[in-house]
Amino acid sequence: MPDLEERLDAIYENILDYEAKQVAELVKSEVEAGTDLQIILDDALIAAMDEVGDLFSEGVLFVPEMLMAANAMKAGMEILRPLLTDSDIPSAGKVVIGTVHRDIHDIGKNLVGMMLEGGGFEVIDLGVNVAPDEFVEAAAKHSPDIIGMSALLTTTMPNMPKTIDALHKANFEGKIIIGGAPVTLEFAETIGSDAYAPDASAAVVLARGMLTNG
Amino acid sequence: MVSDMRRSRRERKIGDKANKSPQTQPVKGSSFSLPPTLGAPGFAFLDNTRIDQLRERTFSLLEEHGVFIDHEEAVKTLKKAGARISNDGKRIHFPRFLVEQVIEDTPKSVTLCGKTEEWDHALPDPEGRFIMRTGTGAHGFIDGETGNYRKLKMTDVATIAAVGNHLDQIGFISHPFVNGVPERTSDIHGFAELVTLTPKHVWIQPYETENVEYLMRICALAAGGESALRKRPIASCIATSFTPLELKQMDVEAIIQASSYGLAIHACSLPTAGGTAPITMPGTVVLAAAEILSMLIVTQIVGSGTAVIATPLIFALDMRTGRSLQSSIEVMQGVSMSLQLMKQGFGLLTHTYGSGSDTPDVDSQSNAERSLLGQLVALSGADILGGVGQLECATVFSPVQAIIDNEIGQMLQSFLRTPDMDDESFAWDLLKEIPQGGNFLANQHTLKHCRATLDPQVFLRQARDTYEAENRRNVQEHARDIFRSILKKDPLANLPDEATIREIKKVVKAGDAKILD
Repeated sequence: MPDLEERLDAIYENILDYEAKQVAELVKSEVEAGTDLQIILDDALIAAMDEVGDLFSEGVLFVPEMLMAANAMKAGMEILRPLLTDSDIPSAGKVVIGTVHRDIHDIGKNLVGMMLEGGGFEVIDLGVNVAPDEFVEAAAKHSPDIIGMSALLTTTMPNMPKTIDALHKANFEGKIIIGGAPVTLEFAETIGSDAYAPDASAAVVLARGMLTNG
Repeated sequence: MVSDMRRSRRERKIGDKANKSPQTQPVKGSSFSLPPTLGAPGFAFLDNTRIDQLRERTFSLLEEHGVFIDHEEAVKTLKKAGARISNDGKRIHFPRFLVEQVIEDTPKSVTLCGKTEEWDHALPDPEGRFIMRTGTGAHGFIDGETGNYRKLKMTDVATIAAVGNHLDQIGFISHPFVNGVPERTSDIHGFAELVTLTPKHVWIQPYETENVEYLMRICALAAGGESALRKRPIASCIATSFTPLELKQMDVEAIIQASSYGLAIHACSLPTAGGTAPITMPGTVVLAAAEILSMLIVTQIVGSGTAVIATPLIFALDMRTGRSLQSSIEVMQGVSMSLQLMKQGFGLLTHTYGSGSDTPDVDSQSNAERSLLGQLVALSGADILGGVGQLECATVFSPVQAIIDNEIGQMLQSFLRTPDMDDESFAWDLLKEIPQGGNFLANQHTLKHCRATLDPQVFLRQARDTYEAENRRNVQEHARDIFRSILKKDPLANLPDEATIREIKKVVKAGDAKILD
């Protein structure tokens, strides 16, 4: 039987090869072999996703490759999750996302959600056409670190400041990120958001930076 | 724990990606072939076998998967016409016989009317030319004078109208997204302003279901009444599918109402390859075709005889960032395929972006991308080349870019004019008699034809000394000169009179009151 380092490398390798099924099987074998769960988590799954994150930031990996690696990592996590306590499960932070009221275009929002999950964030997706009071309710219910909202249409952009106002009135203390094709930095600055992500990959970097730097 | 294996793995991964760059991939044979019909200039990117494959897949997708349609009345009408409704009542399956019948019944020509006949454009153009359209939906504006970016405001509509009015390639003008007015009725405000400022054909792009009625009322007023509008539709209307394979209530409503006035429908699909559509272009092309044909069917079933212009606007997701692109080379390939499928495969009129760029400014990339795109689209036989002046993936308009685009359009039109092959074009008599050391400069034949060559007003042909003496003024500066001269010109004739403008303003006010209430 290969030594532990080689076996953890194999999990790591399979995540980088996007082999979800293999990752699940290898993690299951490792659990059955009695390996410390925290070592599997830290030295194989999280280490692989850190590497994926770095490769993505450097432009080596493309969006679908990053997402597929995240899916492979999640397959391993599904084996570990029932065996770990909540405090053992790492999270880069909790993010609530949705498209603003009257906007039903969700591809960008979905992409951001998948990439945040791939980046280790817990994501609560409120879906499309989310009214300001629904964002407020979700903020109260989930206490997210960040709320992210998107708009594809120029006609629905004005629902961003309305939502931000509602969140501020409800004393939401987390950060707010906005994005979407017609959104600009200037717009983001004028409506009281904390940050603007020009694309999905920037959203992940921003979210990490916000929670690291406060 | 970072093993040597992982370090070498990382290097391999980077190496793998570098080795997989598209530039190093071998080309698998050429798809280029002779056009199936001689006479019309252009190229056929796909051969007939491939077009047939796309056609068959499109029919299959419409019949087997179907399209979600969010409009109860339209669904009932479609059912009566032979469409099959899924058990949940929302997905409509279109049997092949119905699709083929509708394609056959759809008018294959239309005249996009201006306010007077002088501005009419018959499609397809009898001489095989295309017309161009200004970019639509832009919310940003590159100021023509300063070159600075800002939000597009109401006064910019007048600038767009002035530029569109005076550029010879612009067949019709679109309304942009206007900031500074209520967002929900911005389309009504923008259209109301535009339609009073141009005698050219205009297009209607509704933002909300309830706005459609007001846009039609304004259009009727500008045309001189409802019957005048039906007789000479001065506008056409875009209906857009919600990719993948869905038609929203607003767009079905736009089709119904526009059809009732006889306005041509630009049946538009906006798939994003890798996002809302397959990343591989044949899949995206088939998806777009199915969506366009579903709108064609709705149009013909609810408004029989209404002209439909197939409008595939293909986008792709940038795999590195997730941003939408309108001018990547894959998009250009997809557009070429879509146009060929729509035109040769289904015999429909076609409209797509023939200009536009993904860069935010009027720069080298912009002019390279739009020149390449324009060539492919024009040579693919599109009837309408849209996107004039648009930048940053159709979200920004630049009047200076529009002027450059117009000149690119002139070049493309000149190129598409297939030369005659006769004694005159061979200059046969001259060729036979040319002496040693002779030239063709000063003779009657050259004199006769010298003004038939395109004389660019924007593109430079200066010697270096002149270029330096003029402080290295470039294409943009030349275009800006033309922009300034256009703004000084008098408005064109045959615009709506003061009384009509007052009536239009009343409709805008009524729309605000009803919709914003």
